[in-house]
Amino acid sequence: MSTAHLIAVGSSPLGKTDLPGRDLFSKALAEAFEELPDPADVVDGLYVGAQSERYENQIMQGTLMAEWAGLRNVPAERVEACAAAGALALKNAVRDVRAGVHDAVLACGVEKMTAGGTEGATNALGAAFERALEQRSGITAPATYALLARRYLHETDATERDLARIAVKNHRNAAANPRAMFQEAVDVETVMDAPDVAPPLKLYDCAPVTDGAAAVVVANDEVAADLRSRPDAVRVAGVGSAANNLAVAERDLTYVEGANVAATTAYEDAGMDAADVDVAEVHDAFTVCEALLAEAAEFAPKGHGIETVEAPEDRSAGWSDVQINTSGGLKARGHPIGATGILQAVEAYEQLTGRADDRQVADADTALLINEGGVADAHTVAHVLTTQ
Amino acid sequence: MTDESNSPMTDTDSTTTGPLLPEDITTDSPFTLPGFFDALAEGRLVAARCTECDTHLLPPRPACYGCGSRAVTVSEQPRTGEVRSYTSVNRPPSAFEHLAPITIAVVELDSSARLTGRVDAPLADVTIGDRVELQVRDPEEAGIDPDFDLSYEEEWPVHVFELV
Repeated sequence: MSTAHLIAVGSSPLGKTDLPGRDLFSKALAEAFEELPDPADVVDGLYVGAQSERYENQIMQGTLMAEWAGLRNVPAERVEACAAAGALALKNAVRDVRAGVHDAVLACGVEKMTAGGTEGATNALGAAFERALEQRSGITAPATYALLARRYLHETDATERDLARIAVKNHRNAAANPRAMFQEAVDVETVMDAPDVAPPLKLYDCAPVTDGAAAVVVANDEVAADLRSRPDAVRVAGVGSAANNLAVAERDLTYVEGANVAATTAYEDAGMDAADVDVAEVHDAFTVCEALLAEAAEFAPKGHGIETVEAPEDRSAGWSDVQINTSGGLKARGHPIGATGILQAVEAYEQLTGRADDRQVADADTALLINEGGVADAHTVAHVLTTQ
Repeated sequence: MTDESNSPMTDTDSTTTGPLLPEDITTDSPFTLPGFFDALAEGRLVAARCTECDTHLLPPRPACYGCGSRAVTVSEQPRTGEVRSYTSVNRPPSAFEHLAPITIAVVELDSSARLTGRVDAPLADVTIGDRVELQVRDPEEAGIDPDFDLSYEEEWPVHVFELV
């Protein structure tokens, strides 16, 4: 089996922009290949994560992105698992490189979420939920996660204020991230006083509607050695994925079992465990997700995920010293659905190669990425990245 | 509507212990959505029940997510249960906009089967553990924009919970 490395990353501006999806991809591509030859001389295939054709009335994103990268007559596929699409693209690229199918593959993601306004995004995202009983009851993304949050607050000692502190932490991290959509800090009172979206979730508990694209180059040993000096390559050491329940009603409301399976599969694949992880980007589409995923990733004892906001020395016994969502997370870096899993890889790459500037975690050499789609872990993809 | 005499899969005492056969998968069977909603329109909420691990599956389906078995049978459900979690959809999808805010709950029926549904009560009146009863309404009565329904969904009823 070949080893898969990340050798270059790029992202577009994140937020509400005037650029359509293909142009956002052009931005991400231009950054990723700034120091590389033409994509056609580097990669043999492409995967693109894209949640919905409803935003721009465009499927065939594989072909479109390949053309915009100057790739012709190579495999180029769009993959979809709602918000897990980006990591699914990365997973497929890693699989192909490991298997020797390709020497290098472009993994990317794109979403033009603001095209139809908030209403368009609500309707497009609604398709991720179970149709027969849940969509027909009027459910939305914030509502499904509010059902998890309400139950989590009921079963644990956590409070709405604890959830608010997760938003505050992630905004603070984003303020140090030049890629982030919201580069400003907020305080707990601002979060607590914001309008309800789906109680107990308020505006700042929810990731924003975001336009954006991101791209990473996944390469085998030979291509990595040829194109990059060693410190600039990050090894993809572990991959795991799992599908759980589609309907929110039928899932465990306070434990994301599928995410635990994905994460532990990735740890096993890497020959590591949770204690080896220095930095983690986890899918905080809503604040409660970060607490749930800290537990599922085995960073935190069950019921204590909320302590993700504390400095390692102030956390309960059994917590690791991992730093979570240094990018600002989906909450504040932004959440362009199909691109989010790739944006998580971008942050890990910057942390592990010492490029994270003011948000750099000292001596970070191993990262965990958890990207989810549907409600919570309806679909989870996890990656372990390392320089070890 | 389902004729029960021609539809053994709606028999709540069904002794099914193996996989469904291709000929079982008809619009009369509650293992399909048309059959499930036909039964609901007649006032019967039907779940699948795994004969290996007793997991309830709502709506019914051919295999159990709990243990992987295809030895599933159908089981008529009690209409009462309790609220496991709840929220309010303040910004619903377009077809539900005029109904906002919509109170929504995950309800665990007295059989242990679970389903999500609207609660016909303001958010402030609902809390975890509340007893609720399932009501069946036709789509117009439930107030959903007809444009929301796909062609094959137009006759399907909508379930709503009422506090008891």
